[in-house]
Amino acid sequence: MLRLHSLLVAILGLTLILAVALRPSSATGQTAAPQAIEIKVDNFTFSPAVVTVPENSTVTWTNKDDVPHVIASTDGVFRSKGLDTDDHYSFQFTKPGTYTYYCSIHPKMTGKIVVP
Amino acid sequence: MTHVFNLRSIFLAPHAQHVVLIHFPIALFLMGVGFDWMAKIRHSARLLTAAHLNLAAAAILIVPTYLTGLLAWRLALAGQKMRGVLLDHLVLASATTLLVITTWWLRSRPRSRPILLALVELMGAIGIAVTAHLGGFLSGVNT
Repeated sequence: MLRLHSLLVAILGLTLILAVALRPSSATGQTAAPQAIEIKVDNFTFSPAVVTVPENSTVTWTNKDDVPHVIASTDGVFRSKGLDTDDHYSFQFTKPGTYTYYCSIHPKMTGKIVVP
Repeated sequence: MTHVFNLRSIFLAPHAQHVVLIHFPIALFLMGVGFDWMAKIRHSARLLTAAHLNLAAAAILIVPTYLTGLLAWRLALAGQKMRGVLLDHLVLASATTLLVITTWWLRSRPRSRPILLALVELMGAIGIAVTAHLGGFLSGVNT
C-alpha cells in the first residue's frame, strides 16, 4: 500500500514538473519587450528590408545616401520629411500589423515592418 | 506599391513631370549643337536651319523643365533647405538654363562671333551633361 502511494506521489510530482517546464511562454501573460531598431538607407535600399519587431518598438531610419529620401508607409500611417545625408526618422509601432513602406521619391525602394 | 501603368502616379507624382520633360531640352540642345557644328564644316544652310530650330525648341522647353524641377523640390521635399547633390544639381541647372537660352539668342543674331557661339555651345553641352548626370543620380537611375 505504501509503495503504491509513493508511486502515485512520484507520478504526480513528475507531472507537475513537466507541466511547469513545458508550459507555453504566453501563458505567463508577458510579451516581448519593445526594441529600438535601426534601418540603414544606403545605396537606394533599406537594410534590413524586412524587420519583425515587438509592439511599441521604435524603428529609426538613417539616410546614408548622398541624395534625399522620404520614408512613407503605403497606407499613410507614417511619413518622414525629406531626409538628407545622415538625417534620421523614427516611428513607434504601437499596433500589430504589417506595415509596408517605400521612398516616395524613389518608389522602387521598398521595405516592410512586421509587428506580430 | 504604385503600378507602372498607374496614370495617377505617372502624371501626378510630385516630381514626375520634371523627369519626363527634361529629356526633350537635352536631346534638342545636343542635336542643335551637333547640327550647328556640322553646318559649319559642310557649309550647309539646311543643317544651319535644323540647328536653329533645335536650339529654339530647346530654349523654349528648358523653361518649363526648370520650373517643374523647382516644383518637384517644393512638392516632394516640401521646399526644405537643399544641400549636397541636390544643391549641385540646382546650381548647374540654373547655369545651364542660361547657357541654353544664350546659345539660342547668339544663334539668332546674324552678327554673333562664331568663336563665342562655339564656346557657349560647348559650355552648354558640358553643363547639360553634368546636370543630367546628377539628375540621374538623384532619381536613382545612375546607381
